[in-house]
Parts: sequence; C-alpha cells; structure tokens
Amino acid sequence: MKVSDLLEARREKWRTLEELCGRLEARGRRRMDAPLVSRFAALYRSACADLALADAYQLPQETIRYLHQLVGRAHNQLYRSRLFRLRTWGRQLLVDVPQRLFRDRALRLAFFIFWGVFLLSAALGYSRPEFARHVVGKETMNRVEEMYSKPVDDQNPAFRGGMMGLYIANNAGIGLRCFAMGLLFGIFGLLDTIQNASMLGGIFGHMATTSQSDNFFRFVTAHGPFELTAIVMAAGAGMRMGFSLLDTKGLTRIASLRRAAMESVPTMGAFVVLFMMAALIEAFISPSSLPYAVKFGIFVFSIVTLVFYFVFLGYPREGHRAVG
Amino acid sequence: METDGHQLDTRVRVVTPENIAFQYRVAGPFRRLPAYLIDLALRIVVGAATLFGLSFVFGVIGLGNLGLGLWLVLFFFPLTWFYGGVFETFWNGQTPGKRIMRIRVLSVEGQAINASQAVLRNILRVVDALPSFYLLGLVSAAMNDRFQRLGDLACGTMVVCEEPHRLRDVARVNEPEVLRLAAAIPAGFQPDRTLARALAVYVGRRGHFMPSRRVQIARYVGVPLRERLGLPQSTNLDHLLCALYSRAFVTDGEPESTSSLTAEVADGDSPFAAVAAIPVGEAR
Repeated sequence: MKVSDLLEARREKWRTLEELCGRLEARGRRRMDAPLVSRFAALYRSACADLALADAYQLPQETIRYLHQLVGRAHNQLYRSRLFRLRTWGRQLLVDVPQRLFRDRALRLAFFIFWGVFLLSAALGYSRPEFARHVVGKETMNRVEEMYSKPVDDQNPAFRGGMMGLYIANNAGIGLRCFAMGLLFGIFGLLDTIQNASMLGGIFGHMATTSQSDNFFRFVTAHGPFELTAIVMAAGAGMRMGFSLLDTKGLTRIASLRRAAMESVPTMGAFVVLFMMAALIEAFISPSSLPYAVKFGIFVFSIVTLVFYFVFLGYPREGHRAVG
Repeated sequence: METDGHQLDTRVRVVTPENIAFQYRVAGPFRRLPAYLIDLALRIVVGAATLFGLSFVFGVIGLGNLGLGLWLVLFFFPLTWFYGGVFETFWNGQTPGKRIMRIRVLSVEGQAINASQAVLRNILRVVDALPSFYLLGLVSAAMNDRFQRLGDLACGTMVVCEEPHRLRDVARVNEPEVLRLAAAIPAGFQPDRTLARALAVYVGRRGHFMPSRRVQIARYVGVPLRERLGLPQSTNLDHLLCALYSRAFVTDGEPESTSSLTAEVADGDSPFAAVAAIPVGEAR
C-alpha cells in the first residue's frame, strides 16, 4: 500500500475529526450528544494510532505536522480544564484552608513580624513626634490628620457605596501584590510586610498623641481586625511560596514551588473575601454615627470570628493531616 | 511529558493518556507580547467604556459616587487582577488576545489548565513585570526551554502555539520526463526507509530551487543511484529522484507487491470500524 492510498483512506476520518473539533471549540461539550462524543473519541484514538505509526507508514513531514496539530487539537477538547465548583470552594475555604494555616510557619512568621514591627513603630510614633513624619512622609501624615479633624459624620449611602468600591479595589490590590511579591524567595513579601506594618504602626502611634485621636480610633475600630488579618494572611501566603524554593522537602525547587503555589490559591481566595468584608464594614459602619458601643461590638465579633476560623476550624483533627 | 534531554528546538513532546507522543511548539516572547498588548488594549477600552457608561447613568440620577464604586468593584478590580484568569478558565487556556495570536496555555504535562493555575499565573504577573517591562519574566523565560515566566513556573504551565496545518495530498510530480523515467526503473526496486524519507524531503522542497541548483543538490544521492540502476549518464538527476519518489509514495495503478505494511494498515483500521459507522451529520 502506497502512502497516497493510505492518505486517501484516512482523509475522511481526519476531516471528520477536524470538523468535530471545530464544532466542540465553537459550542462546547454540552451541545453534543453521546454517540457523537464517542465517535469523536474513537476518531481521536484512531488519529493517535496513525500518528504513532507515521514513521512506519513513511508519511511525509507535512502530513506528520498536520497529524501532530490534529491530535493536539482533539486532545485539548477531550481533556478540558476543570471549572470553578462552588461546593469544593466552600469546602476549601472552611475546612482545608484553616487546617493548613494553623500549622503554617510562614503565616506565623508573617504574623509576628507584622505585629512586632507594628507595635514597635506605634510606640516610637507615640513617644517621638518626628518619627511618624519620617516613616510615613510629611504629606501623607498631614492628609491623615486633616481627614480625621472633624468627627465622622453620616454621609449619604451613595458616597459610602463609592468608598466601598475604592476600599475593595485598593486594599485587596495591595494584598494581592504583597502575596505575589512573596514569590521572590519571600524576601520582597517580608520587606512589603515590614513596610506596611511600620507605616500603619507609625500612623496609629502618632494619631494617638494628636487631638484627633478620638475620631481616628472611632473610625478604625470596627474594620481593623479583618483588614489587618487579611494583610498578614496575604504576606504569609506569599512567603509560603517563596520559602518553598528554599526548603524544598526533598522535591526539586520547581516541583516544591508548584505544590506550594497550588496550595496557596484557596488561601488567596480567603484573604480576598476578608478584604471585602473589611471594606464593607469600613464603608458602611466605620463612618456612620452609630454609638461607639456598636462599633466596639463589631470589633469583638470580628475577633471572635477570626479566632473561630483559625483556631477552632484550624485545630488539627483526625483524618485531616495538613502538611506544615 | 518527557524530560528535556533530547529537546533541541522549541518543540515539546506531550504524551497523551493513549500513550502517544505528539509535539507542540512553545510560544516565545514575540508571539506572547502582541497577545498581551491586544488584551491590554481590550481591558483599557472595556474599562473606559464602562466607567463612562456607569458614571453617566448614575450621574444622571445623582448617585455619581455609587456609580464609581460599582465600577471599581465590578470592572476595575476584576479587569486588573482576574481578567486573564477568568478567560483562561472558561476559554480553555485562551484570552481574546491569545485566541487572535493562536496561542494557548497548557500545563507542562500537556493537559488543559485548571482554574487555580489560570488565576494564579495571572496574579503572579506583577512579579514578572518587575522591575519594568516584564524584565524578570523575560529573564526567566530565557533561562528555561519552555519559555516559562515565573508565574508559569509556579503554576506548572506553558504557552504553546496552535499552528494551523492543512491536510495536503501527497506531492505528485507529473512532469512527462519523470513519468517516462519512472517506467524505466526496474520494477523490483523499492527505496528503503531512509532513502524514502530523503526523497520525500527533497520533493517537498525542490520547488524552491532553479533546475540547475536542483541537479546540484540531487547529485549526492543521485549519482550512486544512477550507477546502481544502470541508467545512462545523460539521465537528469532531479528527474531520477522524482521518479524514485513516485515509485515509493504514489500509486501507479499497478497491482501491489505484498509488503508487511499492507497488513499493518488493514489491522489499524478495524478496532474503530464499528463506531466509525455512525454518521456525523446526525446531531445537527
């Protein structure tokens, strides 16, 4: 049998497979009925067999390239990407993430560094008037002081809606950036965390000494826990990735990074959700004229929620051996 | 996926669950940059259009701030961070720019990527963009043989080209001299495998050369063959190779000499015959 005969015999099948690929690419799997799908699979396997025997058949290079392309195209349609599934995401967020984070040393490191630097910076900002201006910058500090010079007033809901958008886009953006920077061996994530912590600490310490301190603390109390925890989580998840390049646990560096990166995705989802909740509170409750007791109640509620999430849901259970 | 021991060029081998290896060409920066720029332009246009639309609609009813907030949450934030991730999840590894440039993201094993990989590789883009103009990503891509930027390395993904190849018929040489010569070659002569491959490559490319150059190139194989087949010195070497090619690849209508290949081909056909009988047009 000559090659030209073989091509003649196969042409029909390959063309059909091509057509089915085109149809799948255009309309998706759902629109195809069962016999056609099994036909597609059979044609794909037969094209695979042809490709495997291409050398024995002495097919010309051109045809072999065509076959590579055809098999690749069909392969991509047969083994498609898995979509988001809400149920698995719920399970990830409420079961797997807290279990993993409870034992995550990178998160602990991020936590201690953030709060250590924050408290140090706050103490310095409180005791030395010029510290905050050096660390935070004169202009920013003046703007913050001016912002809280008058008591928080009840702005209209439309304005608050606008602020919520700004808070989500800005804060979650900072968090995601801090997370991504962790990839560089954790160093940039570490620097980012230290910078964030010293800035925030400086502002807190300095504002406590000024006459606007009352307005300031009334504003930040309610959303503080969620927001600061989210920043720590973002930094920790990023460092987890970066440190996996250093401590590979016996894998190659790339394999170790891949594992850590895939594990960090649900954590990323968790801190984005946290940022959104913080933004919601920051936009609608923090600037409202509700009595301070309510805001303080939300502060306590947030902390209880976080403790429940990280400690109660995270406490190691039988059958859930998360790797540290 | 095979390890890269024998990878010389930008082709990577993918082994399918059917245990067949096929090849992809990985996409380099010059394919991916235009795709990125198309996506960037699209993001800017959609962002600006929705900003304009929302501020207009909400401005008219006096809620301009709310419009801005909604735009930030619904468009600015997702377009900045999740544009690529969402498209690559739902479009099977492609964004609009990638689709136009005919490239696709796959996992390094050659499978389609999942949602986590799609989202994460696009968030890690900010690291690749450091310090500016994607310098870090370029350096990283230059240092491995699948052109993976850091985000790709972390997610185990690569970007491949989808080259369109059309199925063509076997090249036929219909010049009368060649046909005459083909008839003169002894019937028992069959080119062996290596020679057949060389002949196929030669015939595929000879169209690019002048006749005199063809003879020059054909000389290396042609002269020994001419002597072996006992053809006269005046035989055109280019035509000789073409005639041998026709003998090897194109049916001339004569009854076949039985070869083991024939049996193999017939066997390869049978397992799929039952399923293949269902007509395609049915589902329309």
